[in-house]
Amino acid sequence: MSSWPWLQSGRIGDPQTPSLGSLAVSDFLRSYLTVAIFGAVALLLAGGILSLGRLIRPSHGNAEKLLTYESGVDPTGDMWSQSNIRYYVFALLFVMFDVEAVFLFPWATRLEAYGVFGLVEMGIFILILLLGLVYAWRKGMLRWV
Amino acid sequence: MFIAAALIILSGAMGVIVARNPVHSALFLVQTLFGVAALFVLQEAHFLAAVQVIVYAGAIVILFLFVIMLLGVDKVEDLNVEPIAGQRPLAVVIGAAGIGLMLTVLVIATDVISGAHSSTGPLGESDIDEIAKSIFGDYVFAFQLTGVLLTIAVVGAVVLARRAATDPEPIPESAYDELVAAQIAARESTLTAEGGDGTAQDGEETTDDGEDSADDGEAET
Amino acid sequence: MIAQVLAQAFESPTIDYHALAPEIVLVSFAALLILLDVVLLEKGRTFISALAGIGLLATMLPILTLAIDGTDRVMFGGAYVVDDFSLVMKAMFVLSGYVVVLLSTNYIAEGDYWENEYYGLLLASLTGMVMISSARDLISIFVALELLSIPVYMMATWRKRDIRSNEAGLKYYLMGVFASAVMLYGMSMLYGTAGSTLLVDIGEAVGGEETTSIVTLAVIFTIIGFAFKVSAVPFHYWAPDTYEGAPTPVTAYLSVASKAAGFVALLQLVMVGFYARDDVYEPVLWILAAASMTVGNLLALRQENVVRMMAYSGVAQAGFMLAPLAVAGKIGDDAVVATVTYLLIYAAMNLGAFAVIIALARKTGSATLDSFNGAFHYAPGLTVVMTMFLFSLAGIPPFGGWFAKFAVLAALIDANTAAGVVLAVVAAVNSVIALYYYGGLARRMWAEEAPDGDLTPVRVPVSLVAALGLAAGLTLLFGVFPNLVSEVSDVSLISTLGG
Repeated sequence: MSSWPWLQSGRIGDPQTPSLGSLAVSDFLRSYLTVAIFGAVALLLAGGILSLGRLIRPSHGNAEKLLTYESGVDPTGDMWSQSNIRYYVFALLFVMFDVEAVFLFPWATRLEAYGVFGLVEMGIFILILLLGLVYAWRKGMLRWV
Repeated sequence: MFIAAALIILSGAMGVIVARNPVHSALFLVQTLFGVAALFVLQEAHFLAAVQVIVYAGAIVILFLFVIMLLGVDKVEDLNVEPIAGQRPLAVVIGAAGIGLMLTVLVIATDVISGAHSSTGPLGESDIDEIAKSIFGDYVFAFQLTGVLLTIAVVGAVVLARRAATDPEPIPESAYDELVAAQIAARESTLTAEGGDGTAQDGEETTDDGEDSADDGEAET
Repeated sequence: MIAQVLAQAFESPTIDYHALAPEIVLVSFAALLILLDVVLLEKGRTFISALAGIGLLATMLPILTLAIDGTDRVMFGGAYVVDDFSLVMKAMFVLSGYVVVLLSTNYIAEGDYWENEYYGLLLASLTGMVMISSARDLISIFVALELLSIPVYMMATWRKRDIRSNEAGLKYYLMGVFASAVMLYGMSMLYGTAGSTLLVDIGEAVGGEETTSIVTLAVIFTIIGFAFKVSAVPFHYWAPDTYEGAPTPVTAYLSVASKAAGFVALLQLVMVGFYARDDVYEPVLWILAAASMTVGNLLALRQENVVRMMAYSGVAQAGFMLAPLAVAGKIGDDAVVATVTYLLIYAAMNLGAFAVIIALARKTGSATLDSFNGAFHYAPGLTVVMTMFLFSLAGIPPFGGWFAKFAVLAALIDANTAAGVVLAVVAAVNSVIALYYYGGLARRMWAEEAPDGDLTPVRVPVSLVAALGLAAGLTLLFGVFPNLVSEVSDVSLISTLGG
């Protein structure tokens, strides 16, 4: 670790990291350098392997081979076909609980700090959202006919 | 860093408008939202940056894509039909005026936009705690009503999307074209009769929704 | 260790449950309706509208007890205020909601629509309105605004199988979210300037000697966002199509409650947040008011459909309500009083007019002006009441409307500025123009022959009669005893907040 000094400077989101002044800011950004390096490595790996494959594989394309592979069945029609409205309700339910999760995180990280009050408020919030889920369930939107 | 993030955001936003395929627009939107996440990082709001990526880039754009697929990207809209004569030139003029207004403000503004920290100063603690304090503090009531809002969105989506057994057949798609044609004809007849009417009574924005049910994407949260 | 420090740092806010009771009751009833739907499905349809009505009446109780109590309650560091202004507006929203439930009962049931959800959404939307009248902070205002708007977007497209209803909902939704976006942009600049979302703090931050360009932009954008909501010219173009396509009870709701909610938020923003910046908001509101009155009335003259005519007349009426705000910097709280007076009277007479339209459409099945011909011959009672509402909307004594117009004109003259006087002249001229089309409709109903001589009487259901009675009674009462309104509408936004 000692040879990577910028890796030590502050865990992401560590409340004890000083946040005043430009020096501290660059500390924060340095910790994101790790993210950048990971991203770069990922790009390099993926790009490198793909181009390597392109270099060494033989290429004798014909129409049959270029078809999209669809479980061994020949695909029909245009790929931009209209999708079913059902997907939309599922996506919306997903967004709803995604947002709920966003609200849960701040509460969960310091659960004890907010005490009974926080628990009650969060309980009401979750109950309200559950009502939506139960409603969709009861109306048969969760069943895939 | 700020300039890099701003470039990501602006180029993404341009892409959203310019892209011909709505799916590409949605993907450019991901780029823009990612740039906003980078701005949050610059403001040391790491939790918000993560939320931005998870909720917006992850969930909401997916919802957009579903709606786009639902409406059918294969349908081509005829952009040459101008429902109201002079509508487009007018739009260009108004848009240019808006941009001009913004630019004027930017030029004469005394405080230059620099991407520096917001006027309230640093957060003090990590943003996740600040958010928790807000939603259990002064905004607890607004927070609960946000829950109601989300539930209402689901109820509404179910109502609009579900076809009950007793419901009649949906409106045939041709009905939309007929309605638009009838409205254009009616407007033209009033225009000739009244000798021109500059005011936009019937702003026809959309003529393209084939599905009757997916009109209201309650995607704003 | 950190947790202990935090535990000391965090104090749960003191919540005055009495002050929040109206909202809590409403939300509970909305949840109850949805829950009943979940349990009973279609079996609950027979009593669900009655239950919604009971819920609204139950909401009136805490509003009344709060009014009797009379003390101003401030919560959440000033983000939530229960004072005279908010109580009057809450009562107005709940009562208009009750009338809309009465209007909807038969319409929705006979149309075989999704009744249970309809009332659930209606109550949720009303919750947003009740909340917005107390919200004195940008976040609360925005959450309340979305809560009141989103259910209405869906209710506008409730006649799913009708292509016009789809158009109505879609158009309203697109315009609504666009307006929200513009407004949020303005609000973000306000927050950036003030560093606080509280309107009081914003008022302090923007109220310097000189305005900065960013403040100017923020004020203009925020006002434009609400101008969409209240359908002021040039942001009115969604209104006629949406009003025409939406189910008529929803149209009544849109034109009264939803518009009033926009005004409530606008009043709070202008009077508390922007008050010292009258050099910015006065010209903007002046233009909006003058344009709304003139363009709305001129376009209303040419309409062939009653609902479209009412839509444009609503645009013009919104201009009247905006007018006092255009001189708010000179007359202070008098502007609030004038606008609130107008809102209260407008709610009664406009809901009444829509009630008659719904009742007559039960027979004629259409809303063209021609279908109102000769209504006197087969529905004399409805014709008399409709004439009363139309004359009231036009501002003829002794019906309520005259006092509303009088309050606005008096406020404009009181300002004692050239701008105020000019606007008063514009308003007076427009009252005359409006008389022409309101009178024209009344003339059709009295003098013309009924189309194809069909004189079978209209059967008006009990709930519609109740709605008509309530609206007519209030319209007449406000007109004959204007003191009653001025007693109620004597509210203030500036003094209660001390800034």
